[in-house]
Amino acid sequence: MKQYQEILDALYEVLKPFASEANQRLNEETQLVADLDIDSVRLLELLMEIEDHLDISIPLNRLPDINTVRDLAVSLQELSE
Amino acid sequence: MDLETTPTHNTLPFRAADFSNLAEALDYAAQGETGCNFYTGRGEVYAVLSYARLRQEARILARRFLGLELERGARVALIAETHPDFLRFFFACQYAGLVPVPLPIPISLGGHEAYVAHLRSMLTSCNASVGVSAAGFLPYLEEAAEGLDMAFVGDPVDFENFPESQQALRPLESDELAYIQYTSGSTRFPRGVMITQETVLDNLAGIIKHGLKMVPGDRYVSWLPFYHDMGFVGLVLVPVTSQVSVDYLGTREFAMRPRQWLSLMSKTKATISFGPPFGYELVERCIRAGEASKLDLSAWRIAGVGAEMIRSEPLLRFAKALEPSGFDPKAFLACYGMAECSLAISFAPLNTGLQVDRIDADHLAKCHEAREVPGGNKEDLSPRTRSFVVCGTPLPGFEVEIRDQEGNALPERHSGTIYLRGPSVMSGYFNEPEITRRTLSADGWLNTGDIGYRLDGQLVITGREKDLIIINGRNIWPQDLEYLAEQQPEVRTGDALAFSAPGPGGKETTVMVVQCRKKDPAVQACLVSRLKQRVRSELGIDCYVELVPLHTLPRTSSGKLSRSKARQNFIEAHDWETQTAAAGDQ
Repeated sequence: MKQYQEILDALYEVLKPFASEANQRLNEETQLVADLDIDSVRLLELLMEIEDHLDISIPLNRLPDINTVRDLAVSLQELSE
Repeated sequence: MDLETTPTHNTLPFRAADFSNLAEALDYAAQGETGCNFYTGRGEVYAVLSYARLRQEARILARRFLGLELERGARVALIAETHPDFLRFFFACQYAGLVPVPLPIPISLGGHEAYVAHLRSMLTSCNASVGVSAAGFLPYLEEAAEGLDMAFVGDPVDFENFPESQQALRPLESDELAYIQYTSGSTRFPRGVMITQETVLDNLAGIIKHGLKMVPGDRYVSWLPFYHDMGFVGLVLVPVTSQVSVDYLGTREFAMRPRQWLSLMSKTKATISFGPPFGYELVERCIRAGEASKLDLSAWRIAGVGAEMIRSEPLLRFAKALEPSGFDPKAFLACYGMAECSLAISFAPLNTGLQVDRIDADHLAKCHEAREVPGGNKEDLSPRTRSFVVCGTPLPGFEVEIRDQEGNALPERHSGTIYLRGPSVMSGYFNEPEITRRTLSADGWLNTGDIGYRLDGQLVITGREKDLIIINGRNIWPQDLEYLAEQQPEVRTGDALAFSAPGPGGKETTVMVVQCRKKDPAVQACLVSRLKQRVRSELGIDCYVELVPLHTLPRTSSGKLSRSKARQNFIEAHDWETQTAAAGDQ
């Protein structure tokens, strides 16, 4: 199982281009939809980036409960178990 | 190691859906060797389900259903993931005399409450007795079913502990319902289309014999969701009732790796696949140079296109990019359909590719007549032209009328509302007699809500009557968008109108015009961004939000708010269609 901080750092890397495009700073409270403008098309890009960089596949049933960067990191940590 | 997939060639004589019910269709298919295969996003087979095994497992499940002692025709809600369990449960219902109701899966972040509310509205609307979902979505289904009077809500695995009843199975018969299909993403106005066995089999036979002229040796690939009419009727029921093999890729897997669609087509030498135009666009955008020559798409004889307005340019780019793979642009098959007609209404002629009708756009808007503009002189910018893809000849069972607003039938090249009558048309919306009466007349004419004209016996679709917004093949009801706006403290009932407009490059875009009482630019900006976010998390689409002063939304002569006028005003004021992609960014 990966450490939370390790996952969070990797996630910040993946989210960097999304954040710079939306002109936002990243922290755990950052809202993925509201702050980073992640619509359904960008969401698929994000899921793919996460699979490629963290080798974790997020099932669709997790998505409705993911709002913030923290939610996403927690979900990824659980999935990496 | 890959599992062995079901073969393309069958030992069984081909039959074109000439069965009296779906259970009988599966009984027949089960005597052959074909079936369905499920692939992961990386292109590996993870499940093979021959029709023989599907029948056997569906019948065992059906006996377990009988133990629940539900009344005949009771509704069984199924969260429709692309998975063998959906097929098992769908056909178990057929054998057990129960009516399956496929339910959708959301693909967006956040929106937990919205999804649960949506599920609940459908469970309530169809008065479901049973709800089944794989573990992943079960918590949402359970939450949605809380307090509802349902006999059972659970996981497919739970059924393993149910005893098998010894009663004889009595499958749904030809005049009973085959399924109920929810047509829109509307939370507040779910509409369950009722389709009987004979209705869906009539449409399936039409698709197989006339639309696709299927032959032994055909094979399907599909990534379309099982809760979508095209994905479900077209790419689940057509293969079963024509006894051909099909290869399934999950929708999410396709959307993340669109090229997987082509790899699969190339690998299995499939001959038929369908997608909405945006599916082809998604692939075209990510094809890399040199990649196409590694694929062999020469067997692909039908590349069906439907489910939303078809624009030819992106499809032609797709064909161009895939030329080295042997993809034949003549394989493009434009079609038109809707869940209210089971699925298919018309298909273009096979092996001709896309046919485009170039007409005078101003004349169409003013006189509702589609006057042809000869091609050739590209320099000549007047009259303003629009090109529409011709959507083909209606299947033989359909009577078609194009009517003006007074209900008069119109001649060729005159545009109006498309009305249809025939044996593939639904029986109505479940438990919605009022909405049914408005859509389906007593003598069987269905108001499709689509606008179009006839051309040499073929249909051309030019738009939709007023309300419905279709984005990426999904139906969105403007009322749902307006409701989201009206829930904001700055907005009151009647302050918002939503519609779709041709966006930059002609792409369909959702627009909402909202009357705003606040003058402060910061407050306004906050409202716009909040609305966009709400729309995105609730409905999974992008929406262009425009704030306007109070009392500026257009009304009809009788004083009602007019979406169509608002739409017209908006299009005239913005003229997006002719601008570049950047113009629509917000």
